[in-house]
Amino acid sequence: MNLLDLLRDRLGLSGTKCGCEIGECGACTVLLDGEPVNSCLVLAPQIAGRQVLTVEGLAPEGGLHPLQESFLDHDAAHCGFCTPGMLLSAKALLDWNPRPTEGEIRRAISGNLCRCTGYQQIVAAIEKASAS
Amino acid sequence: MKPFEYIAVHTIAEACDALAAHGAETRLLAGGTDLLIELRRGSKKAPRVVLDISGVAEMAGIAESGAHITLGPLTTHAELARSELLREFAPLLGEAAAAIGSPQIRARGTVGGNIMNAAACADTVPPLIALGATVALQSKAGCRELALADLFVKPYQTRANADELLTAVRFPKPGPGARSAFIKLGRRNALAISRLSVAAMLELGKDGRITEARIVPGAAFPTWQRVTEAERLLLGEMPGEPLFASAGRKVSEEMIKATGRRWSTEYKEPGYLRHHQWPAAHAHSPRQHEPARPPAGPPGPLGHQVRL
Repeated sequence: MNLLDLLRDRLGLSGTKCGCEIGECGACTVLLDGEPVNSCLVLAPQIAGRQVLTVEGLAPEGGLHPLQESFLDHDAAHCGFCTPGMLLSAKALLDWNPRPTEGEIRRAISGNLCRCTGYQQIVAAIEKASAS
Repeated sequence: MKPFEYIAVHTIAEACDALAAHGAETRLLAGGTDLLIELRRGSKKAPRVVLDISGVAEMAGIAESGAHITLGPLTTHAELARSELLREFAPLLGEAAAAIGSPQIRARGTVGGNIMNAAACADTVPPLIALGATVALQSKAGCRELALADLFVKPYQTRANADELLTAVRFPKPGPGARSAFIKLGRRNALAISRLSVAAMLELGKDGRITEARIVPGAAFPTWQRVTEAERLLLGEMPGEPLFASAGRKVSEEMIKATGRRWSTEYKEPGYLRHHQWPAAHAHSPRQHEPARPPAGPPGPLGHQVRL
């Protein structure tokens, strides 16, 4: 069983999305010890002793994470399928590099496909969240 | 996913014991970026045992010892891409690693997996062969070291026996006169599999003439090899564009000699001509060029890439 199925089917954490299951689309991105990974490519037992952050763990109780607020403000979520993965790739970037350039933002989300927005709003949302 | 037996090991000795017992029916799991796709596909050759070596601490990390750099096979592409040591001694390897897949793939995929999977498009292999890398293969019976260039039989097949484990990748530190470059041609910038690549290393003597040249194309020949015919053109010459153009032409000719004219020759042939400036334009003498920015975090920079 891969980490994606463990999260969605065993733990009921359906915020992590199942897209291509071959590591191409990034919909299943989670942070493993702070690094973005495709959860479809991690065998479940490989997370033993390690920390996994899914979109469910991003926001504080009853609130939103600054990145989520910024995505809302910029209409960066359309159908929303790529959003959880986008948010986690963006969080990993900002944790390592709090003031990224636009090019660095685009590289950081280069493993996350979005078929709605054309990425402009997403890049703007991450840029704004990094500045605030 | 077909059912399989899962075994996790934490030392090289444990891994060798497990391989001695189940080697032929075992697949090794490190970063999983290739294996998980295969397991999901459920091919006929589905392994009976998946041996998880990702927790073998002695096989992780990059170390400098005397005149050599040693890479643990579990070193991820992200770690290669952000390594200060590689930036200093082997920038072409860090650049190649930075151009692999996506940030997510680079965080998981390992240099050992890239080598042992032996896909013709493996991006760390041409730079490592250009660096003169050797690999250590360990089994219960002992350890042997061979040149990386001699490891491969054909795409997806190596000379490692079923009970052998890749435990180290080593290469000598290039001298102060070394220049290197890695260039990759992909269909787009992210998640692009190399259609064609080249790693090149030059050593320049005190008079500026080329004293040593190593040119290793990727995704061009059935297995990786140095193109000695092209290298020979460079020896004793001063670096410069017309010279590199003739070397590029030679690489194209040798590729076509080895593979014949295939559907992809149409773009691969000019590929080596158009980028004839490679070792010169991207010559990288780390002691003279300090990186413009401190190393980024996990989402490393893209390497030199050229789009079709």
